[in-house]
Amino acid sequence: MQEVLSGLSTGFGVALLPFNIMLVLIGCFAGTLIGALPGIGPINGVAILLPIAYSLGLPAESALILLAGIYYGAEYGGRISSILLNVPGDAGAVMTTLDGNPMARRGEAGRALSLSAIASFIGGTFAVILMSLFGPSLAKIAVTFSPSDYVALMVFAFASLASLVGKNAWKTFMGALIGLMLATMGIDANTGIPRYTFDVPDLLAGIDFLVVVIGLFGMAELFYLVEQQVSGKLKALPIDNSFVRMSDLAKTKWTILRCSIIGFFIGILPGTGASVASAVAYGFEKRFAGSDAGEFGKGDIRGLAAPEAANNAAAGGAMVPMLTLGIPGSGTTAILLGALLLFNVQPGPMMFMQRPEIAWGLIASMYVGNIALLVINLPMVGIFSRMLTVPQHYLTPIIAVLAFIGVYSIVSNPFDLYLIIILGIFGWILRKLDFPLAPVILGFVLGGLLEDNLRRALSISAGDWSILFNNWKSIILYVCALAVIVIPALLNRWFKVKKPTLDVK
Amino acid sequence: MKSMIFKMLVAASCLGVANSASAEITSPECIAPARPGGGFDLTCRIAQMGLKGQFEDPIQVIYMPGGIGAVAFNLFNTKRTSDSNAIVAFSSGSLLNIATGKFGKFDENDVRFVATAGADFGAVIVPVKSKYQTLSDLMDDFKTDPGKIVVGAGGSVGSQDWMKGALLLKSVGSDPRDMRYVAFDGGGEAISALLGGSIEVYMGDVGEMAPHLEAGTMRVLAVMSGERLPAPFDVFPTAIELGYDAEWTIMRGFYMGNDVPEEDFQTWATAFAESYKTDEFKKIRKEKGLMPLELHGADMDKKVKELIVKLRGIAIEAGLIEQ
Amino acid sequence: MVDRVFAGILLLVTICYGYIAFTIIKAPFQYDPLGPESWPQILCILSVISLLILMWKPDVESFDTKRPTWIKLAIVTVLLFAYAELYEPLGFIIATVIFTTFMSRLLQATWLQAAVFGVTLGVLGYLICTGLLGLNLPSGPFPKL
Repeated sequence: MQEVLSGLSTGFGVALLPFNIMLVLIGCFAGTLIGALPGIGPINGVAILLPIAYSLGLPAESALILLAGIYYGAEYGGRISSILLNVPGDAGAVMTTLDGNPMARRGEAGRALSLSAIASFIGGTFAVILMSLFGPSLAKIAVTFSPSDYVALMVFAFASLASLVGKNAWKTFMGALIGLMLATMGIDANTGIPRYTFDVPDLLAGIDFLVVVIGLFGMAELFYLVEQQVSGKLKALPIDNSFVRMSDLAKTKWTILRCSIIGFFIGILPGTGASVASAVAYGFEKRFAGSDAGEFGKGDIRGLAAPEAANNAAAGGAMVPMLTLGIPGSGTTAILLGALLLFNVQPGPMMFMQRPEIAWGLIASMYVGNIALLVINLPMVGIFSRMLTVPQHYLTPIIAVLAFIGVYSIVSNPFDLYLIIILGIFGWILRKLDFPLAPVILGFVLGGLLEDNLRRALSISAGDWSILFNNWKSIILYVCALAVIVIPALLNRWFKVKKPTLDVK
Repeated sequence: MKSMIFKMLVAASCLGVANSASAEITSPECIAPARPGGGFDLTCRIAQMGLKGQFEDPIQVIYMPGGIGAVAFNLFNTKRTSDSNAIVAFSSGSLLNIATGKFGKFDENDVRFVATAGADFGAVIVPVKSKYQTLSDLMDDFKTDPGKIVVGAGGSVGSQDWMKGALLLKSVGSDPRDMRYVAFDGGGEAISALLGGSIEVYMGDVGEMAPHLEAGTMRVLAVMSGERLPAPFDVFPTAIELGYDAEWTIMRGFYMGNDVPEEDFQTWATAFAESYKTDEFKKIRKEKGLMPLELHGADMDKKVKELIVKLRGIAIEAGLIEQ
Repeated sequence: MVDRVFAGILLLVTICYGYIAFTIIKAPFQYDPLGPESWPQILCILSVISLLILMWKPDVESFDTKRPTWIKLAIVTVLLFAYAELYEPLGFIIATVIFTTFMSRLLQATWLQAAVFGVTLGVLGYLICTGLLGLNLPSGPFPKL
């Protein structure tokens, strides 16, 4: 504890230098903007801006503080286009569309943006606090997660997603299967055999996750808007001056706390990040909302707060194994690790002893960055929500232009521009036929992880299936998975029996 | 893809380039056939910073992700075969993909390899608590019962990470197919699995061990280089000096289209040859975690093509491709 | 009715998917008992079952989209494909100006409004994205920033 406090004071000494505060602010601002572009999330934001940060010739700790600001800013920015345009800014913001966009449609964009900024702030700060207190020991537990434990984690994730089931359960199920099937395209991660690539070189590495998200959400939304407008069904939105209320915070405080914890722990695990964290958090909250879950998916503030707290907590969690063990658990942290090496800093346990000003300076700048983001984001809520009053004949083309920028600047391959249009048409048809889209995306993300880890586990055991159940961590997760399905059902029944006696009116 | 020709036409007409037989290198670019941030990006950055001053304009880094590098490889075999301005980054992994035919109908004879950026080497790594103290402890088990040891690495079967394990097994006469191999998604996940005890041996790279050397959590049993490596890696014995004929060099370098005029190919080769001598190049190569490997021009092209033929032989022998 | 047709088309695709999984996908050798083919096989079987159920019990009668709407949607699709085709050859600015102008005209802006908006979005978008955020966008005939 003593160590942590002295470390933090060293860190804040570095992070609170006026020059470094300015860098955090610039980083957060640029990150928010770049994160708000559909498809460009933290990983690409950091990768794109890294060479610029390097070329500025800053000292190591300042450059890293700038990058950390960009990283957090991009994680924050992802929610903006989710809420306003129904187009997820990045993978972790897919679930944010589910309740965030309906809120904006009924004229509460300001409330949605400000509430989600606060949820993000709490999730992010919570993660940094846990990281500075227990970082090293948590990282050691995280690496003991074996492939068979990941299988159990995926089963738990699918179980919590059972709550996404809409009107027609089979359509939800089929949606998830479509995502799972799309994920099998490309070179098999285990045997290196190409599957469903049809000798097209562009498909060898599979369809990029970003392309699926922008296609199914962004472009489908575009077709939907055109259709609504042409048929005159689209109503002009009133000018929106709504803002988060104290009662909103009171109602969501436990949701935010729970989801911060879920997000942080999923973020620490190498290989799972913000997308898995926000999906599990959303599913979990909806499941446990029990009988008053009816509003989820139609603009429930809990459904908005849950994924936002979780994905920012996960972004913080992902830093833990990178900083304390030198193991990058995600694409973004791999890039940050590269950035550290670029400045001749070796991450890992030794960093805290050899270069405390960098290790602790970085952690302290995350505290500062989170506060900076809240300060930057709350006043901008008004400006962003004005965007919705832009007439539709301007707004709709902007969605297409933003989607193209997002895909092209990252993938730089015209083939993927065609792909998003085709996926957009497909997504529009799915939407017209009442297939929910979120399960497609989640099937796509979770399916690959489930298949790869299942086959890894069976490679380790040389084909013995009992490896899936011979570990206490897996068993706990399977029990949780069962509980997520069974307990809400029981609670529901219990409340239904009780209710009539309670509601004497 | 028509668009590419069109773009070049537009570009050519705008710049007023009259001489089309041998275009000068006016706007040099390095194509990283991946997204920003990975190994190909790093390779291009070495060219960008290491070759500073060799051309009038600085080298631009262009990203061209798609199909593990296959999109770029096919483009330079169909549309941009004579583009003198562009070099494309490759690694030993790409060479293996060319050797096993993953890149489609084109092979190594359809491009020209112009220069290297540097090299990394395979390493045999165990956790510090492992019962294997030396490479021979491990190799004895590989000889008697290879299926007993759980080996992991950051790539699929047939990738260069797998190849390191396969070569090790072959050096004691075991069949790589008897290995108990677990494929992870990148070195980071594999190292977690090693530290967490899911796998017993990790077939990694020397360069990525730098952050972990002082932490003392892992033990490098041997490196798979021809000779001892420079400090701080000079303490590790090579597999060859311990009596096991297993060498794996991860080469990072650049290729060009096949129809690039000879003089432009030479210009690039000379630019690299000159840069190798500068401190600037040495510094950036070290910063990017690579060790010296300085090949260029026709010699480079010949050596890489021989290497691919050898790799193809290994792949056929291991049963990766049918003849 | 319409979702029965859609499920039918998906069923055909799934059968092709399954055919490939059951016959073509095969590794020369593998270390895990499932191999590359088992997972797609499982997905195929589950999909066939759920698609048959969806065809048995459809719940969406029609798209409820009128003819003029269909025509506009088709035009949007054509515009999008043209935008993608011209993106690299003409560069971001010109392609965006053309696309945005036609698109906002299609959505009932006047020609003048549409053109002004198109030029603004093309030029401003390019300057912000490449200059400020350092993104890589096709420059077309203009020199790179």
